[in-house]
Amino acid sequence: LPAGLSQWFPALEVLDVSGTGLAEMGAELLSLPCLHTLLAKNNRLGGPGSLPQGLGQAPLARSLRVLNLSGNRFAEVPPALLRLHGLRSLSLGGNRLHGIPPDIQELQSLEFLYLGGNFITAIPPELAKLPSLRYLVLCDNKIQSIPPQLAQLHSLRSLSLHNNLLTYLPREILNLVHLEELSLRGNPLVVRFVRDLTYNPPSLQELAGRTVKTRNVPYAPSDLPESLVRYLSLASNCPNPKCGGVYFDSCVRQIKFVDFCGKYRLPLMHYLCSPECSSPFSSASQSSTSQSESDSEDEASVAAHRMQKVLLG
Amino acid sequence: FRYTRNLVDNGNGKFNLMILCWGEGHGSSIHDHTDSHCFMKILQGNLKETLFEWPEKKGNGEMTKKSERVLRENQCAYINDSIGLHRVENISHTEPAVSLHLYSPPFDTCNTFDQRTGHKHKVTMTFYSQYGERTVC
Repeated sequence: LPAGLSQWFPALEVLDVSGTGLAEMGAELLSLPCLHTLLAKNNRLGGPGSLPQGLGQAPLARSLRVLNLSGNRFAEVPPALLRLHGLRSLSLGGNRLHGIPPDIQELQSLEFLYLGGNFITAIPPELAKLPSLRYLVLCDNKIQSIPPQLAQLHSLRSLSLHNNLLTYLPREILNLVHLEELSLRGNPLVVRFVRDLTYNPPSLQELAGRTVKTRNVPYAPSDLPESLVRYLSLASNCPNPKCGGVYFDSCVRQIKFVDFCGKYRLPLMHYLCSPECSSPFSSASQSSTSQSESDSEDEASVAAHRMQKVLLG
Repeated sequence: FRYTRNLVDNGNGKFNLMILCWGEGHGSSIHDHTDSHCFMKILQGNLKETLFEWPEKKGNGEMTKKSERVLRENQCAYINDSIGLHRVENISHTEPAVSLHLYSPPFDTCNTFDQRTGHKHKVTMTFYSQYGERTVC
């Protein structure tokens, strides 16, 4: 970027430097106090110096709303980018990302996140901590599973997952009440019933976390290291209506096919906190009454009916 | 949040002329053309067209891909039900695409197909805008 940019154009609001072969964007950006849209797609950005130092302290951190870095060479999300707390729209489509940093949750104003066309293999549950996220694109990646916590994205209206490596979805996906669009094609979704009751015994951290949550042990951020506070916030509720338990990473997994009015059979994975817990959907459960079984079936089919509009769009 | 269909001209009931706007990554389902002629011209960007065979009557397997191609700016394509079914997608993650479509006779319902099973489902197609005015559903 030319030095003196901010002196010539101090009131600059939109800067489009797409397709210019740019490899670095430096300090010239830091003194543009009105910049709300920066488009830098199809360049050679991705190495060190792609974004300027001191971005977190610059006016840009609060003023920038839209950032498009698609079609560049980013192999990881640059940490400096996560300081842009005013960002509403971020595109890193068509780069070389292998993952999403958990600190993505710092972008609390994010509404639109485009990460299609990368090499992403997994989604951090922290992505679910974006309360305003409405449009999430993860298509054309190498994602093998969706964390159940993603169902906490209550603002989500559109989720693009096509062309990945998903074999099933978490049952919790049915909880996304505002979801209007969901694309799933080009995934090796299992079409036959798979009885998979693998269970890794919980770690000590998991057992402690479960106790803290189920016994409502009070804690404040000052009591625990930040990493543990975050860990505790990622607890998921056991879907068994008779169990008030929670789980973190250790759970029993069972695949249940939810029928969308005889047209699609979506394999949904649901997680139980322990093998002793009976699944709300399991026909082999001894302890649950037929009443609670049919309640859970109804809940799933109501959600499935709503989702039907989504899948067929 | 998905591609939009914008009606431009209804040819006194003889045809529908519309402009489709595709964001990055947007694609259509596999669909038929309800016994009509369908012409498509790329006005901006690129669109990938994948042709499929009609599924067997009691189809219960993966649908058969016939061919695929990427249509560039100003290229035209044509399809009708005797040729087969297709899926159209903007596979770019950086550029939107715009296409011009001519359907004759006009139709507002078609069948969409599940690639994994060949099952079809009738859908009603809607317009995002007509003659420049946003269509409220």
